[in-house]
Amino acid sequence: MSESLIDIAAPEAGSPGSPDDQFDHRRRPGIWTALRRGKGLAGLILIGVVVALGLLAPVLAPHSATEQIPGANLVGPSGAHWFGTDEVNRDIFSRTLYGIRTDLIVVFLAVPIGAAIGILVGLISSWWTFTDVVAQRLFDLVLAFPTLILAIALTAFVGPGLRTVFFVIVAVELPVFGRLTRTSVRTVREMPYVEAAHVVGAGSLWQLRRHVLPNSMEPLLVQLAVSMSVAVFVEGAMSFLGLGVRPPQPSLGSLIRDGVRNMYDAPFFAVGPLALVVALVLGLLLVSQALAEARRA
Amino acid sequence: MGAYLLRRLPSALVVLAIASFGIFALVRMVPGDPVSTLAGPDASPEARAAIRADLGLDQPLVTQYVAWLGQLARGDFGTSYRIGGSVKDLVADGAVNTIVLTVTALLLAMAVALVCSVLAVVLDNRWVNATLSFGNTLAIALPTFVTGLVLILLFAVVFPVLPAGGTPPDGFLARPDLSVQYLLLPAVCLALGAGAALTRFLTESLRTELRQPYVTTARALGISRRRIVLTQALRNALPSAVTVLGIQFGTLLGGAVLVEAIFTWPGLGGLIEEAISGRDYPLVQVLLLLSVMVFVVIQLFTDVIHAWLDPRIRIGGAA
Repeated sequence: MSESLIDIAAPEAGSPGSPDDQFDHRRRPGIWTALRRGKGLAGLILIGVVVALGLLAPVLAPHSATEQIPGANLVGPSGAHWFGTDEVNRDIFSRTLYGIRTDLIVVFLAVPIGAAIGILVGLISSWWTFTDVVAQRLFDLVLAFPTLILAIALTAFVGPGLRTVFFVIVAVELPVFGRLTRTSVRTVREMPYVEAAHVVGAGSLWQLRRHVLPNSMEPLLVQLAVSMSVAVFVEGAMSFLGLGVRPPQPSLGSLIRDGVRNMYDAPFFAVGPLALVVALVLGLLLVSQALAEARRA
Repeated sequence: MGAYLLRRLPSALVVLAIASFGIFALVRMVPGDPVSTLAGPDASPEARAAIRADLGLDQPLVTQYVAWLGQLARGDFGTSYRIGGSVKDLVADGAVNTIVLTVTALLLAMAVALVCSVLAVVLDNRWVNATLSFGNTLAIALPTFVTGLVLILLFAVVFPVLPAGGTPPDGFLARPDLSVQYLLLPAVCLALGAGAALTRFLTESLRTELRQPYVTTARALGISRRRIVLTQALRNALPSAVTVLGIQFGTLLGGAVLVEAIFTWPGLGGLIEEAISGRDYPLVQVLLLLSVMVFVVIQLFTDVIHAWLDPRIRIGGAA
């Protein structure tokens, strides 16, 4: 029945102190080895390639992201322009490489910030009943809005741009992580060893840091990978709707939108950015699946 | 069943009440002013004040809110500032299109999930499993705008067999065959992610179910695996799938905003964008409230269906 639902969020009970754990007091092995083989490895490689392409953009890109090349208007893929050029004579391959950087900021900066705040709020609020109720209702409220509607509403406040994408990601991820952390806290604090710690005089903060957080780590990591793949999607969708980065700054999403605008004249336009988006999302998804499977095993 | 619904109703109403005030206040905090969009940049202060008083925007926030609630209770949703016309008509027109699209996608996703998960469990063949699992991961990993574009490129540009976007010109009922053509691409695009998530979940629940002792007993009694899956395991796996379905329906509505933009489908997504950018308070309020209401109603519905499928919740009351 609903065990499988609960299982996703519930931390591993009683894993510290089991006999296998004697030599590694920090964390039980397994979840990290999942990344060294099969799905996890494939995912890491995919992410690694995309990240490397983005980081090495200044070295790899033959042109800058905004340089206009005289005489090359919407030309198809060739040796000089691997992905062709766009309607204002910019090299799409170079723009794609620089565009990855925008997505990297969103994935590896915005998501962890939202997650960190969410975890902090979840940890602290769930310790007392009053703050717990307030925080949960607030999380409910934010989660009641579909992400894109929230994005449109937020754009009304701060205007379109990378900053808005950043805010939306943080706003969406905060309650997700807050709630997940809360579930963990509720489960872990009922454990006898936490009660024992309480009895011998451990303070709330110490209990949270020493017992609750380490035991919530695995489900949170799985969620982090999932959230990162969602972030790529949100950036793309927001840019697609015209709420994302402002031109001429490229992002994978905005390049796809430009590709759609020129779909009939230049069908090749969006292929590169599309492939990169799929690679990045697929990589993150594979990692999250590998982590989740290792947890269940 | 009625008693169960009654027990769940208060908390849903509280969320709605808080959300309605939150939306009302939030919408008025957005920088920009409907008066300046309506009056134009050169309007005299007197003219602006007149418009402001006419819209009731000079009243205190709480007074405005209570007046708005009173209007809502009488079924009067107000008049759109910018687009003109009654909010009710605007929302109704968009809602029909969005609901047709979302419900079609949901039915598609459910059908795909049922067929694929039962196939996977009944056949339990290595190749079938590998194929389904691969297709599943791919369907989840492909962002909506990517599948939408690929679908348009394939079926409207390279092989022009289906329309690239829009709704049937004479409504959905006039020419059902035409409606199917217009609906097919956007509905498939929207259904893909939800269908994949649902398939994954249902397959997993069925597998868990098949490890239960009652299945072993049934097998020992000589009942075929297929029959156990169809008559018993499926029924037991469905309640939790309904919960996931409820969550997925919310996701579908959010995804509809994007799919509508890709396929130029005149639904609520475009309307909400237009309303917010135009500071069209009456329209924005109703749309956002509607979005929260749908979420609350779905949650309620999910719980009720859950209770209907699983008597333990109905009687125990721990939902």
